[in-house]
Amino acid sequence: MTEHLLFKDIDEPGLSTLDVYRRRGGYESLRKALAMEPAAVLEQLSASGLRGRGGAGFAMGKKASFLPKGSMDKYLCCNADESEPGTFKDRELMQKSPHMLIEGMIIAAYAAGINRAFVYIRGEYAEQADVLDQAVAEAEAAGYIGENILGSDLSLSLVIHRGAGAYICGEETALLDSLEGKRGNPRLKPPFPANQGLYQGPTLINNVETLATVPHIIAMGGEAYAELGTETSTGTKLVSVSGNVQRPGNYEIELGTPSREIIYGLAGGPPEGREVLLWFPGGSSSPVLTKDDLDLPYDFDTMAKAGTMLGSGAIIVVDDSNTVVDVALKVAKFYRHESCGKCSPCREGTNWTVKMIERMRSGEATPMDLDIMASVQTNIIGHCLCVLGDAMAMPIGSMVEKFRPEFEAYIEERRRSGERDLGSSDLVDPPLQVLQGAR
Amino acid sequence: MPRPDLQEITFSIDGREVSAPANMMLVDAAKRGDVEIPVFCYEPKLGQPVGACRMCLVEVEGIPKLQTACSTPVKDGMVVHTQTERVRDAQAAVVEFLLVNHPLDCPVCDKGGECPLQDISFGWGGGRSRFIEPKRHFQKPLELSPLVAIDRERCILCYRCVRFSQEVAEDYQLILQERGADAYVATFDGHPYVAPFSGNIVELCPVGALTSKPYRFRARPWDIENSGSICTLCPSQCNVNFTVRDERVLRVLARDNEEVDDGWLCDKGRFAYQAVHVDERVTRPMVRDGGELRPVSWERALSEAASALGRAKGRVGVVVGGQTTNEEGFLLQRLVREALDSPHVDSSPHGSPPRADLVALANPRLQATVADVEYAHTVLVLDCEPIDDAPILDLRIRKGVRRQRTKLVVATSRPSALDANAVASRRFAPGGGAEFARTLAAHISDPAGAGAPAEVRGFADALRAAGDEVVIVCSERVGAAAVALAEALGLADVGGAGILEVPAGTNARGLREVGCVPGSGPGYSEAPEGFSTPQIAEALGSGDLTAAYLLHVDPIRELPGRGAWEAALERASTVVAHAAFLTEGLRAHANVVFPAEGHPEKEGTVVHPDGRLQRVRPAIAHQGENRAEWQVLADLCSELGVETGVLTAGMAFQQLTEAVPFYAGLTLDVIGGRGARWPERAQATALPNVERAAPPAERAREVVASNGHLRLGTFRSIWAAPEVEHAPALKFLAARQRAELSPEDAERLGLRNGERVEVGANGTRVQATVALRHDVPAGTVFLEENLEGDGANLLSGEELVEVRRS
Amino acid sequence: MSTVPRFGHGSRVPGWDDAVDLEKDPIEVPDPATTPVPDDLRAEIKSHLAKYPDPRSAALPALAAAQRRHGWCSPEAIAQVATVMRLTPAYLSAVATFYDMFHTEPVGLHKVYVCTNISCSLNGADALYERLADAAHGDEDLHVQHFECLGACDIAPMASVDGVYVGPMELDDVPKLLDDLAAGRPPLPEKQLRRRFSADPGANSRQFEPGPQNQPIIAAGTGGTPKPPIAFGAPMPGDEDRSDQPAPVEQAPDPPEDDEERA
Repeated sequence: MTEHLLFKDIDEPGLSTLDVYRRRGGYESLRKALAMEPAAVLEQLSASGLRGRGGAGFAMGKKASFLPKGSMDKYLCCNADESEPGTFKDRELMQKSPHMLIEGMIIAAYAAGINRAFVYIRGEYAEQADVLDQAVAEAEAAGYIGENILGSDLSLSLVIHRGAGAYICGEETALLDSLEGKRGNPRLKPPFPANQGLYQGPTLINNVETLATVPHIIAMGGEAYAELGTETSTGTKLVSVSGNVQRPGNYEIELGTPSREIIYGLAGGPPEGREVLLWFPGGSSSPVLTKDDLDLPYDFDTMAKAGTMLGSGAIIVVDDSNTVVDVALKVAKFYRHESCGKCSPCREGTNWTVKMIERMRSGEATPMDLDIMASVQTNIIGHCLCVLGDAMAMPIGSMVEKFRPEFEAYIEERRRSGERDLGSSDLVDPPLQVLQGAR
Repeated sequence: MPRPDLQEITFSIDGREVSAPANMMLVDAAKRGDVEIPVFCYEPKLGQPVGACRMCLVEVEGIPKLQTACSTPVKDGMVVHTQTERVRDAQAAVVEFLLVNHPLDCPVCDKGGECPLQDISFGWGGGRSRFIEPKRHFQKPLELSPLVAIDRERCILCYRCVRFSQEVAEDYQLILQERGADAYVATFDGHPYVAPFSGNIVELCPVGALTSKPYRFRARPWDIENSGSICTLCPSQCNVNFTVRDERVLRVLARDNEEVDDGWLCDKGRFAYQAVHVDERVTRPMVRDGGELRPVSWERALSEAASALGRAKGRVGVVVGGQTTNEEGFLLQRLVREALDSPHVDSSPHGSPPRADLVALANPRLQATVADVEYAHTVLVLDCEPIDDAPILDLRIRKGVRRQRTKLVVATSRPSALDANAVASRRFAPGGGAEFARTLAAHISDPAGAGAPAEVRGFADALRAAGDEVVIVCSERVGAAAVALAEALGLADVGGAGILEVPAGTNARGLREVGCVPGSGPGYSEAPEGFSTPQIAEALGSGDLTAAYLLHVDPIRELPGRGAWEAALERASTVVAHAAFLTEGLRAHANVVFPAEGHPEKEGTVVHPDGRLQRVRPAIAHQGENRAEWQVLADLCSELGVETGVLTAGMAFQQLTEAVPFYAGLTLDVIGGRGARWPERAQATALPNVERAAPPAERAREVVASNGHLRLGTFRSIWAAPEVEHAPALKFLAARQRAELSPEDAERLGLRNGERVEVGANGTRVQATVALRHDVPAGTVFLEENLEGDGANLLSGEELVEVRRS
Repeated sequence: MSTVPRFGHGSRVPGWDDAVDLEKDPIEVPDPATTPVPDDLRAEIKSHLAKYPDPRSAALPALAAAQRRHGWCSPEAIAQVATVMRLTPAYLSAVATFYDMFHTEPVGLHKVYVCTNISCSLNGADALYERLADAAHGDEDLHVQHFECLGACDIAPMASVDGVYVGPMELDDVPKLLDDLAAGRPPLPEKQLRRRFSADPGANSRQFEPGPQNQPIIAAGTGGTPKPPIAFGAPMPGDEDRSDQPAPVEQAPDPPEDDEERA
């Protein structure tokens, strides 16, 4: 039985209220932390080996320690823009146990010497944002947020900031731009947010789950937390399992649990009579795995070794009633829609990829197009301003690589069935019309 | 504020050791080693690099991912590769992506031949296209404004134009709508992008997406020649290149000079060249004959002017307009002083201050440069509106505030476009600039002394809070009070601080220095006392003077006191003028009109407000029968018996450097293409030392607007100029009279925005349209100056006016 | 201008074919003297401005407030926000068009976003969207839009109805949903996400009683009436006459489907 930290009695009535949360020992970790030196809190976080739960998997303690010391304005941003397709763990956490996040944020702010905090929550999560607003109001009234928290030197303000529907704002620098009231375009790095983030000040950005784990680490001690999971992927992790599974939902698992146990044991696997065609181990931006990979332990390093990533911990299962081309089109269209348009490889590459897959569907493609498609993905990867371009190119590239026969068969079948919807006569312009258009 | 430190470091690029200033962006540092790294979005003038186009990817040893050279500061010992297969593949991939939706309509594209995308596709592209999907096709070109056309198919979304609008001009009108592949450049709700600097986006666009409507399809790059000169349409004196084809100016481009314009141009400077080639222009000398001005031969015009002026010997008043060059001004003051025996010459619309004040204002220890405006701790904008008076300065002030964290404080009577960027703004009654400066100075010199109101004290604190380096940007009406303030602030011994006076006329500073001031000869030498501009009007009206010489100025339109000038010119027996357009005063009163050269025809020098001499060089031959005006003046001198010995513009310049001691040693070569600041030269000490009289006691300004009367303030818009009215492309911007009112007064008077009103006093009325502004101080109405017809100068001298519905 | 046949292909982007209207004046920061702003909207925007060190940060909440007031981010709405925030309408328009939840074209009062991303799509979301779009066709009060992943793949296929998540939806739920909306009732109460238990069998150490108090949206002591979430474009509290609507049926949520399998 997996140890449950975040999801322990998550459905207890009234957990979202301060009363119930406190009755269960809530905000005790905060008291404990405030009795320690900030550096000692940081040490506990580092000792826990906690890796960011948002996608990149960067060590949280290390990230917090990058912030310069001193009395300048520093900021904490909780990334609650959970938008990676297949991910919905933060939503359940915020809705059911908002104070756990708030407590984690206060402790993190204390450790890093921060006195302004924001939760950037995606605009679609209107219900959860309301819950958080309410919880912040309660915490303020109880003196957990505000001046001289619990008699300490720590002062902290916390604002719940609603996004408005843009996947890219989950990218940390785009989040900062959006929080500054701009279009959510990613920024060039360096400078990194730890040095120049929100309003040009040093900024710590962490995912909801990461921050919600902090009170547990303080409560049990960093080393005890590190006992959970594997050596390099410590602790428990919320995994969102969805797609073609019988029991979709969030599951708290210890990192290193075999993937099959999560997909089949917990989530019930694909419906009766169906088999796994492919699965995304870390949201739709992770390169896909196949049914041959089901026995891999689910942790950061194993996934990286398998050429993919654990990402946000969102497993999407696609069963064999689907074609890989349809999945690829969904994925590509999503990233085309969500590309901010700032850098050319992503803006044009996602658009081009969608057009190529659409051409496969309309029966106008040849296997040569697969080579072009693969090459376009290669041209995107590593050349973009942020990771969104890679987020499409990596799964699409992996699909073409792992399912090339399926793609070829599909192209061939569509060519023969001739499901063409483009009038070919329009495809060539009379030169005169081009001229008129130009002048 | 400290300027950037330029410590040299050494790095290696493509195997070559190259030295460059530390932290210079790699793309610029690479040029030191003759390595070109292609870019589209990178343009340092637009602020921090954005790294959007990804064209400049290069390999830096020790960093696994390719880096954008535009955003990577070069470090000592850095090893960079731009020619590896990996880099070449990445760059070719980016070119391919950019060409995915870029139409290959180069044959019909206005940018063809001078297009960075063409060049980079050739130099760094893969040379083939694998994109066989239909490209995007849209209606094109579309209008973005009356001046700029937009072709969205060609746009490669490099962000340059929107960054210009948002981060340089700060007008925030041009934006990207939507996102991703759907993103496009647009404005809000179909409003046109009309702003004082909008034309710069055409020059910034690296493809043919933004084109200048006046230039579209006028020429290919191989048909044209570029000719460097100075725009003399305002005191900013931006450096420009005239694009010339067949002796016609077809386009004006910026000629980047960081010390002057930072590479930007306003739309007046960019598009008013058209006025040089319009039919309404005066291109032949004219003489009044039978009540009407008729074209005549040069010989006749010269002899009529000479004989009429000769008859008025000793009783000639001369007013010199701001666009006059140093050479013309120098020759004209010789003409009037030596040949006509008349000391009455002035170049300031309000009347020049005493010689001692002018010398104090020219004190080299108190001169701020344009670059100082950017790097000062604090900039004080005093009684002027840079966006109208010297537009490019507005951009420089904004740049300092945005990039160098310069503090800005504003003290004006009319709400300023810079208020939003200022840490403190203060309003005083119209005309109260000098008094405000003196109050401020008095308080600063003697903080304990009584009298300064709390707001003045707060303002003085804001002015000094950031540091010692304070730059005072003020109008010429502040005059010597600016010196008093600068002295109170102790700016004389502070580098990077001082006064930058923005005069009303383009070359007002040069004209002062060459002697177009009553009582002050070339180089501020002592000269017989004469009448100032308003006194000339008075003297002409009373018959004390009988002839007026108007060099590039129409007093009826441009100068304060329209009523007095009408009487003056009506009574004058002779009015000789140089003009490019027959504006109303000249049409009615001039006896002889010599055609004025357009600035692309002119040869000579002008002096920038910061003391920089710059060369105006002819780009085109004279239009029609035009002659060089220095020559006309020299000819007149000789007709009147004074041989100047000036046979070329260069000779005129040489004469004036001999006459102006602090210009000694300056040659046209020294000035060159970038100009030379005389206050920086050793000869600056030759500025005469003139004892200053105690400042006259200022009378306290009437502040109360009683009986429903409003105080009258005036301003001159950037668009109030004959060149704007006559350039076909700019006509739509020509200023029209509007009465700027506060909402409180409008409510009291029952007036709505856009309503027609009469503003008047003592029987004189100006027709205007109500423009409500929330930041206009209640009790004041502002009217525009320098308009044909209903200019504010009809009401000059009136402090209180009535506003009522017409 | 003659139509070029190929305009029909390639991406068609609304706005790309639009020139500016040269009859209009250019627009910078609107002058408060000439742009009236409703007092309540001004007050709400000002309260957002006060929350941030840099007031520009309030752009998103302020636009959301204006959208609630006007139903969409109309040019008028944007100009009002611009007036209070002292920004240009163009700046705000650039922001508004970047985000999917700001509507810069007029839309119906009730916003139904159907998730058609991968997990929902694998569970029939495309058909659901089509059914909903067809059913809402011609209804001016309804705006049905397909949306990228809404973060509720556990209830796939799902929709966000004025900010309330409902799912898993079946095609047969469509008429019921439209009825609920037309009648001003909470949408599909029994399928609302907020009533759902965790799927993790190890999470809860004991069986919790389902009941109104375990709708986390309700804080203790607020009387048990759930308020609608502050959704984009949903009517502002007080705008619509919601107070006299019957309180939602206090109905036990469906037990989680995996109830039996729970350890």
